[in-house]
Amino acid sequence: MGHRGLRILALLASFTLVAGTGLVDPAAAQDKPRHGGELVFVVPSEPPSYDAHQEETFGLIHPMAPHYNTLVRVDPFDKTGTKPVPDLAESWNISKDGLIYTFKLHRGVKFHDGSEMTSKDVKASYDKIIFPPAGVKSLRKDAYRVVEVVEAPDPYTVRFRLKWPESSLLLNLASPWNWIYKADLLAKDMHWYEKNVMGTGPFTFVEHVKGSHWVGKKNPNYWDKGKPYLDGYRAIFISASSAQVAAIRGERAHIQFRSFSPAERDSLVQALGPKITVQESPWDCLNFVSMHHEKKPFNDKRVRRALSLALDRYEGSKNLSKITLVRDVGGIQVPGTPWATPPAELEKLAGYGRDINANRAEARKLLKEAGAEGLSFTFKNRGIPHPYEPVGIWLIDQWRQIGVTVKQEFIEASAYHPMLKRGDFEVAMDFQCGFIVEPDLDLPRFLSTSDANYGKHKDTVIDDLFQKQARAMEPEERRKYLRAFEKRLLDEEAHVIYTLQWHRIIPHSSKVKGWTITPSHYLNNQLDTVWLSE
Amino acid sequence: MWKYLLKRFALMFPTLLGVAVVTFILIRVIPGDVVELRLAGDRGSVSDEMLNAERIKFGLDQPVWRQFVTWIAGAARLDFGTSMWTGSPIWDEIRLRFALSFQVALMSTIVAVLLAIPLGVIAALRQDTWVDYTVRIFSIAGLATPSFWLGIVFILALLILFKWLPPMVYTPIWVNPWQNLAQLIWPALAVGYRYSAVATRMTRSAMLEVLREDYIRTARAKGLVEKLILSRHALKNAMLPVLTVIAIEFAFLIGGLVVTEQVFNLNGVGLLFVQAVAHRDYTLIQALVMLVAGIFILMNFLMDIMYAWLDPRIRYR
Amino acid sequence: MAINPAIDVAAEGLADTPHGGWRAAVADFCRRRPLGAIGAAVVVLMLAVAVSAELVAPYDPVAVDFGAMLTRPGVQHWLGTDAFGRDVLSRLLYGARTALLVGFGSALMGATGGAIIGVGSAYFGGKIDLYLQRLMDIFLSFPLIILALALVAILGNSIPNVIMAITIPMIPRSALVIRSSALAIREMPYVDAARAAGFGHARIIMRHMLPNVMAPYLIMLTAFLGQAILLESSLSFLGLGVQEPTAAWGLMLRGAAVDFAESAPWMAIFPGLAISLAVFAFNLFGDSLRDALDPKLRTL
Repeated sequence: MGHRGLRILALLASFTLVAGTGLVDPAAAQDKPRHGGELVFVVPSEPPSYDAHQEETFGLIHPMAPHYNTLVRVDPFDKTGTKPVPDLAESWNISKDGLIYTFKLHRGVKFHDGSEMTSKDVKASYDKIIFPPAGVKSLRKDAYRVVEVVEAPDPYTVRFRLKWPESSLLLNLASPWNWIYKADLLAKDMHWYEKNVMGTGPFTFVEHVKGSHWVGKKNPNYWDKGKPYLDGYRAIFISASSAQVAAIRGERAHIQFRSFSPAERDSLVQALGPKITVQESPWDCLNFVSMHHEKKPFNDKRVRRALSLALDRYEGSKNLSKITLVRDVGGIQVPGTPWATPPAELEKLAGYGRDINANRAEARKLLKEAGAEGLSFTFKNRGIPHPYEPVGIWLIDQWRQIGVTVKQEFIEASAYHPMLKRGDFEVAMDFQCGFIVEPDLDLPRFLSTSDANYGKHKDTVIDDLFQKQARAMEPEERRKYLRAFEKRLLDEEAHVIYTLQWHRIIPHSSKVKGWTITPSHYLNNQLDTVWLSE
Repeated sequence: MWKYLLKRFALMFPTLLGVAVVTFILIRVIPGDVVELRLAGDRGSVSDEMLNAERIKFGLDQPVWRQFVTWIAGAARLDFGTSMWTGSPIWDEIRLRFALSFQVALMSTIVAVLLAIPLGVIAALRQDTWVDYTVRIFSIAGLATPSFWLGIVFILALLILFKWLPPMVYTPIWVNPWQNLAQLIWPALAVGYRYSAVATRMTRSAMLEVLREDYIRTARAKGLVEKLILSRHALKNAMLPVLTVIAIEFAFLIGGLVVTEQVFNLNGVGLLFVQAVAHRDYTLIQALVMLVAGIFILMNFLMDIMYAWLDPRIRYR
Repeated sequence: MAINPAIDVAAEGLADTPHGGWRAAVADFCRRRPLGAIGAAVVVLMLAVAVSAELVAPYDPVAVDFGAMLTRPGVQHWLGTDAFGRDVLSRLLYGARTALLVGFGSALMGATGGAIIGVGSAYFGGKIDLYLQRLMDIFLSFPLIILALALVAILGNSIPNVIMAITIPMIPRSALVIRSSALAIREMPYVDAARAAGFGHARIIMRHMLPNVMAPYLIMLTAFLGQAILLESSLSFLGLGVQEPTAAWGLMLRGAAVDFAESAPWMAIFPGLAISLAVFAFNLFGDSLRDALDPKLRTL
């Protein structure tokens, strides 16, 4: 009930967000899709292997997702990227106790080699993801700890039995990484998919020239009749962003599916005018400041709160959104999505209040109380131009306003993660990126027991709250626990300091229709709904 | 002479070996390893046992000397292994990139030579006149401009003035020569201009030296025509150091155009190298360094042959 | 760099002081080689600016001022401001400091280190020469930027490390050139005569070899200065050199400058010009220095 109201609110919010920045092409209803044409898009990096169960880079998803289907997927027309809709499963049913999920599969789905897809393929693929045999890597198996077993009682039914009820499982199964592979191929060689492509998706694999491009061709026997609209697609690998912009500007590519910076968007709009359409969305990515709880004075929560209070997030949002990929002030969920805290509520948290002078005065007071006046430390940051560097510069300037002197040290991107893992920092920039906006996927790293808890905070209250929200089947109850979790994480204990929500900007050729932006650059890449106008 | 050349040839191998050892150790000193990057990558955490299992697969758990021996054994059979990042054979990874870099290097060298030799000669003949000054300023400007700046300006100029963009994807010259040249002429011009600077100055300075040599004075005294003096005596001897510079710079063009490749979006060896370092892909880094070093050492040897042939003083060593 | 067979042995070398002392020599230099003089003047100007940046710069180079972001060059900010509202002119002036520090630091150490190895290798000859040469060959085989890249990855991003990372590839290049000059002297009969007369190694090196390698040494030094500045800016551009918020010319060309290349071109133009000017000046000066020091030419 409140859920529906929130959906409308979310829709309105996203519409205003979008309307404020230009125009968007609302996906389905307008013109009738035209068949034909080759979509050319740019991808900044290449896939290291071909197996989505083992990788987590968009460099794999962008060129390869069109070759595959998943059991369920995120609605490609939904801007919040949180609505599960059928893909290979045509319908599903959840038992009353929430422990049994039964999926009915489409019939007549064929792999690209002509063989039929049945439930045993789904079971084999999920067994590989959730219960990988020795020597097989599955990067996301921990997300499915709740699953006890996957069954295939008949060729067109798949059943998941859970150990406990989990409200997010359906959305979790819509993960863009859970490609359905062919059981026979997996039985012969579990590593086959690392170097080969065989799926049921709307496009078949033509070629991959390393360092150059990836080509896919329309699947004439696609099970979703009438689709895909495109004759094919071509992904060109270009790493330098200036060259990517040049490609779109020179009309050699239609779109880039990750994001461009505000300045790049402006230059494209200025150069191409009506030939360019801009879609924008808050991104399911966020930089937060991680403080090492075992190093003085960051073990004192007053110091941590002070550092958060010093930040004028609203002014920062206004300014930084002009030069880099951040914009909205958000909490633990992307603004505009079902579980996000409404802005009015958010302002009650430390550092989110509108009166920056009062906040900073309190920050100074806290520092004094904690005996940390004139605090000075080294802030470690990742050497990436957008948005790490600008946000880092902003942070240092903000902390200067409460008398804290910070020296910034940039660590090369590849050496960064090991540095965090070693705990070799006092204060460091970290990031939380999700592929689907869902608390069960976005928040586990903040648990005291998580391997990704680099700040080494120990807080049983927060662990408990997470557990409670994961098991809550009633939306209101879940929301209550999520608010409490957020307050504990960002306000009471200030374990981490959230900066600003990343902002996704996709300026693309106006010929591209049928593609809707979502907060995740891993979603909506199957290209079956995309078509090119004349 | 042959004994000299044989000695130089033999010396190629210990040098190559030395490069292999230095590289091997150097990359293993860099913090971070490929397994960590591949698995835990950006976000998550992977269990230590999974990490260790992967390390064993790549042989990273072995002591360094043993890893080296394994690698050398493979290299002797010309098997440089598979990339640690993608698992594909090394030659697959390098093949296309090498073709592109090689072609750019070749084209740049041609541009550089076409610019440098005439300009250097003129500047030497008209030393300290405004011709000399102009040539020197022109060539130093090429050296002084940062290549990435030039590249960005180039592309912007093409887009804004001509509304045209070079092809984004590499087509080998035997497949489609027009598209190939349309893409590669621009970086060749930018890089060629830059390298002509070094060669121009070298040509000028070598010509200056040679023109003052005793034997030139003698030829002049004998009354030989200026042109004859120039071409037969001066140029030939001046060419030696110039050719050396050109050959050595050519070797470096293959792997050293890191920034230029980024800016012109060329998927060449330089860019591959940067990616390999970012991924800590030891096998690929090793192979690339051996490739570039190998070319350099080969060029050096070819230079030795030419020196021996052209300079009679060395012949009788 | 190639062996320059033209750097010849002349007994005169640099050991002669010209008539009228140094002042006259400088005046002579300015008169006869105006380009070089201009180059030298620019270098001196840069040095002065770098040293006195605190006095000359109108603003604090790291002061963020979002109210003034991306302003055009004008009265308030002569060269405009960047994406953070930081004054471009001030950052340029402080950037000179970084450039010259890294430039001089690496060029000096690189050229000198190479000279020591080159002279030692040439003088002692034999096995020492052989091994040193192989070692130099090995390091020479790495393209400059690749070696610098690897070293920065190992050592880290601070200024001293960047200097080290640029110095190390330069040493073998300098060694190669210096060695060939030193070799030519080594062949001279008077060196053997000196040894026979019982003079020590140090004395022979000091007295005979060093003066004659001065010319190529100085030329290498000026060439390295330009190269070091360019290399540092390339490394910064790749994100591997000096880091924000330090002002450095290569750093100023990265990120926002490229994004805003069309709407706010002053962000990229001025640092690019500064780099070009600096390298230009060093090279012009070095060129003219070479002309001045070549003993053959001085007899004209």
